[in-house]
Amino acid sequence: MAARYETALIRLIIIALLFGAWEFAPRADLVNARLLPPASEVFTVFFGLIQDPGFHGHLATTLQQTLTAFLIAVPVGALLGILIAENRFAGEVFKPLVFFVFSIPKSIFLPMFILAFGISFWQKVAFGVFSTIFIVMMTAFAAVASVRSDHIRVARSYGANLRQIIARVYLPSMTPVLLEAVRLAMIFNFTGILLAEMYASRAGVGNLIGTWGRGFQIPQIMAGIVTVAGLSILFNELVRWFERRCEHWRGDR
Amino acid sequence: MNKDVSGTIQVEGVSHTFVSNGEKTHALDNVSFEVPKNRFVSIVGPSGCGKSSLLMMLAGLQTPDEGRIICEGKKITRPDPQRIGVVFQEASLFPWLTAEKNVEFPLSLRGVKPAVRHDRAREALALVGLEGFGSRYPHELSGGMKQRVSIARGLVQDPPILMMDEPFAALDEQTRTVMGDELLRIWEQTRKTILFVTHSLGEAVYLADQVLVMSARPGRIIDRIDVDLPRPRRFEMMSTQPFMELRERIWRQIRH
Repeated sequence: MAARYETALIRLIIIALLFGAWEFAPRADLVNARLLPPASEVFTVFFGLIQDPGFHGHLATTLQQTLTAFLIAVPVGALLGILIAENRFAGEVFKPLVFFVFSIPKSIFLPMFILAFGISFWQKVAFGVFSTIFIVMMTAFAAVASVRSDHIRVARSYGANLRQIIARVYLPSMTPVLLEAVRLAMIFNFTGILLAEMYASRAGVGNLIGTWGRGFQIPQIMAGIVTVAGLSILFNELVRWFERRCEHWRGDR
Repeated sequence: MNKDVSGTIQVEGVSHTFVSNGEKTHALDNVSFEVPKNRFVSIVGPSGCGKSSLLMMLAGLQTPDEGRIICEGKKITRPDPQRIGVVFQEASLFPWLTAEKNVEFPLSLRGVKPAVRHDRAREALALVGLEGFGSRYPHELSGGMKQRVSIARGLVQDPPILMMDEPFAALDEQTRTVMGDELLRIWEQTRKTILFVTHSLGEAVYLADQVLVMSARPGRIIDRIDVDLPRPRRFEMMSTQPFMELRERIWRQIRH
């Protein structure tokens, strides 16, 4: 217990030191204050931003696109992944293909999405889904592989039918890995949407950051980064909290 | 013809060939034996002698090509956990369930009421010496305790027959010895018919009334040895002349 508080304390100290350095370095002229404005200045802009209704609109656009892409990519990717991994023939055909596509950087496809969908809500969503679905599928492969055959054998020898095997063996076995898929999906998804917004859009946090960049408005850019970082960390911690709740069933692998 | 068939197993002329990776393997060749009620029978044989195939058939998870297996006068065609409880080599507990919920699992598959399930699981856990451990998760239990939970799961429906597939193979020597004695205690208490597959010749002799010796592939029963050592069995018996003679007799059969 004591060790846990200790590590938490050390972590806090490191964070405080980083912010301290961020505040101190530009003020002491150790770095160019135009490139790295002091933390206090960035946070003043940040607090202004989060009270600005105009910014709320941009944030809402980004979040809507991210959520829509997420709600499509995760269930579809998980289902496809499970179906492919469960069928030996489909597995042999599609698994390598998914790995091939996964290894290609998704950003180079962005212009094609603009041509296909125009600069629109669905272009962002489609690109978000495209950047996410392969990692979800690959994690679903791992989820299926994490189902132990001896567990299935036990369930069958105690008379479980297919529906019971799915509900009582497959789902609980796969849950921890699928939660991992949810976490990774959100990261890939958010990245995809912001990239699409920075590249070509009329609204959204990515659009704002792009515009600020061209206008050399560094404090604004950094305030935008703080916002995105905060949201990502929040979501990540939320999923990790769920993961910790089912930790005892990862313990016995 | 009102013969009492409860707790009996008859294996009649079972032969089986399975195909994996395009290669045919002749696993079992005309295997026949009978296990009377309340008897403790061990099966030993070299690796790959078709013991696991035989067990899969007894568990109703595989159908033999030829011959039949009759359990309590009824041919086995599918899993029948209320007649045969199974315990596997790895305890194979579900890590997301507590010990008690693991034991309840066979009952919950049949839709037994939670209150009844709970009582039966507690009784079964008490029987295997795990009273008060019901709320532990498998990763909080030692190897021996896990295997006890697995035995409790096999016994929770009170089946007349218990089938065990090298249940103590993964345990260290000391725990294994303790578990053997524990199993004998449970057997004395419940009077189940037990079919016990093992690699260990000593374990086979120490526990059983009869030892069936199987040959290498294709598996055949090459000897049936009645163990007439007195019960209760004691650890010291393992160094007595009759025990060692029985052990040697088995060893001579499977050595070649």
